[in-house]
Amino acid sequence: MPSRMTLRNTLLVAKREYLERVRSRIFRITTVLVPIAVGGIGFLLIGMGGQRLDQGVRQLAIVSNEPQLAADVQTVLQQIEYPPQSIEIFAPGTPADLSALNQAVEQHRIGGYLILTREPGQSRLEATWVSGSATDFVGQDEMKGAVRDALVREQLSSRGMTDSQIKTLLKSVKLDTMQVKNGQTVASNAGRSFAGAYVLILVLYGAVLIYGINIARSVVEEKTTRIFEVLLATASPDSLMVGKLLGVGAVGLTQMAIWTALGALYAGSSLAAAAKVHGLSSLGLTRPELIFFPVFFLLGFFFYSAMAAALGSAVSGEQDVQQFIFILVAPLAISVLLLPYVLGNPSSTASVVLSLIPPFTPIILYMRICSQVPPVWQVALGVALLAASVWGMIWLAARIYRIGVLMYGKRATLPEMLRWLRYS
Amino acid sequence: MEVLVQLEHVSKSYEEKVAVSDLSLSIEAGSMFGLLGPNGAGKTSTIRMMIGITMPDSGAVALFGKPYSNEALRRVGYLPEERGLYKRMKVIEQLVFLAELRGLGAVEATRRAKEWCERLQIADVLNKKTEELSKGMQQKIQFISTLLHDPELIIMDEPFSGLDPVNVMLLQDTLLELKRQGNAVLFSTHRMDQVEKLCDTICLIDKGHAVLSGGMREVKSRYERNRVIVQYEGGDGFLNHPAIAEYRSYAGHAEIRLKPHADAQDLLRTAAATSMITKFELAEPSLEEIFIETVGGRADA
Repeated sequence: MPSRMTLRNTLLVAKREYLERVRSRIFRITTVLVPIAVGGIGFLLIGMGGQRLDQGVRQLAIVSNEPQLAADVQTVLQQIEYPPQSIEIFAPGTPADLSALNQAVEQHRIGGYLILTREPGQSRLEATWVSGSATDFVGQDEMKGAVRDALVREQLSSRGMTDSQIKTLLKSVKLDTMQVKNGQTVASNAGRSFAGAYVLILVLYGAVLIYGINIARSVVEEKTTRIFEVLLATASPDSLMVGKLLGVGAVGLTQMAIWTALGALYAGSSLAAAAKVHGLSSLGLTRPELIFFPVFFLLGFFFYSAMAAALGSAVSGEQDVQQFIFILVAPLAISVLLLPYVLGNPSSTASVVLSLIPPFTPIILYMRICSQVPPVWQVALGVALLAASVWGMIWLAARIYRIGVLMYGKRATLPEMLRWLRYS
Repeated sequence: MEVLVQLEHVSKSYEEKVAVSDLSLSIEAGSMFGLLGPNGAGKTSTIRMMIGITMPDSGAVALFGKPYSNEALRRVGYLPEERGLYKRMKVIEQLVFLAELRGLGAVEATRRAKEWCERLQIADVLNKKTEELSKGMQQKIQFISTLLHDPELIIMDEPFSGLDPVNVMLLQDTLLELKRQGNAVLFSTHRMDQVEKLCDTICLIDKGHAVLSGGMREVKSRYERNRVIVQYEGGDGFLNHPAIAEYRSYAGHAEIRLKPHADAQDLLRTAAATSMITKFELAEPSLEEIFIETVGGRADA
């Protein structure tokens, strides 16, 4: 029975591919190193972000020809979320003061200083923020807000309002965000609601880079060692390709399982409690997000792996694989570039169409599911198209692989390539 | 005898190059078939069509009396010209994997792999990785992998190239043994001495055409016994005998080609009269000479 024989061969090939990889050094190294690297980067980000928010600009100075204005700005700055530790006022500032301040900025003794100049009798104010860094956005924002607030205060107070009235009036508004999910409004956090999509992008990208290229290499190896001539004289190219993808896919899943277990271990540890991480719940994934994560990961992984196998079948040597890595990850990179648009317009025609184009489907359709659950037919169609193109890609890879036997010295003609189709 | 492979008027071209043209041959069970020809004559192309790696442009290929099918491949053992094994796999795992692909169970495959490695005197490498082995060893491993599933039809493309004489002998004996057991062995080569010793049937291909084919005895009988090898002590005056068309003379050893229908016995008498003859052999032309005559003649024309 041919179908049983094909299945048996497929599983034999899958087993071989799986064992060879799981026993390899690169598997052990990536299994250990990736969590360390991810953890390290995570801690670094948390550390850096925390520092920035906590500090703002710690030490600063105000130089102004109007002492009252300088004092007003100082008052405002002392009331912001992370007030500076010290604000020195030079009113009016002398050229000697300025050169001393420049020196202080250069030596990092102060974060920067603000120059406020207003010609007597005029309302136009010139404000200059001098700091050690051109990209000191936090400082720039704080200063802009403080100066504007001070001017408003000045105007209000000149119109007879008391300090406490002004304070009440200028109290900042806290904006809460809610999101409609599954017909209910739930508290949302813009960053958190796409955590699932970002994790998918990261994991898919990493898996394609590691295992896609691994598959391309193993196909090239079979071609250069010519073992594929023996294999093809025994098994059909389809069972060889499917077996390869299943074997390598199982390796990827094994690795993910190990990482998930490590993650669970970590989440339960005191280390995680210290970092305020509470397992998956801290990602805030909804049920459709959880269900579709493995669906899109697996389909995406098999699509790109099959593409890698086709590329590997088409090239003649190990060196060529490097050049094809770009083609392999380009659709993923494009999906990521399209994300801001899709996030802003999750249900526009363009987003719907993009999410149905198979190479983009895993990331873009999943992102749409994360932001605003699309109609069922769109999800079904996207998944169906992606699954069909996985099959199509495997079919193509198997054909190219088979024709590769003849590419050794002799090139196959197009009609000949078409004649191969009769075999499958 | 059962015919295992039958090619009828098979042709195959790649772009402008004609690889095989109107080739017909058949291989019987229990025989050793030699596919001969100079490099690029179309031997590998012919073999690939037999086992369905390529399809003929025209003509018919029958394997075990039926058109090509995937299942039939389990009864075939194929050793391609370009050798290949998985470099990072252990020898035993590799052999078991390849045997399983051809339908053997894991236990039986392991048993046979060990048996064969012992038979070919490489049992000590079973647990080594393939990349640690010498080329000759790898070739023996691949030779074994071709035979593990006990194929009825064994196809080997240049099986002895790159092996030392001891191992060539070992593999030749193995193939002869398999033939005696009723398997058909096809091997392609351009080493005529091996074919002459081993094969029952030959087919000589040149530029895609079969230029000479049939049973070894029958092919050679088409050529006259006009080769004489003489070993002698003393003068070489007999080399001027009128029956001789041409000769190559070495120290006390001469290889002579006689004129058509010449009298070899008269030459022997003349030689014996002038010199001491230690060997006088009247031989049919060697396959190598036939090969060169057939192929070389065409190439010159």
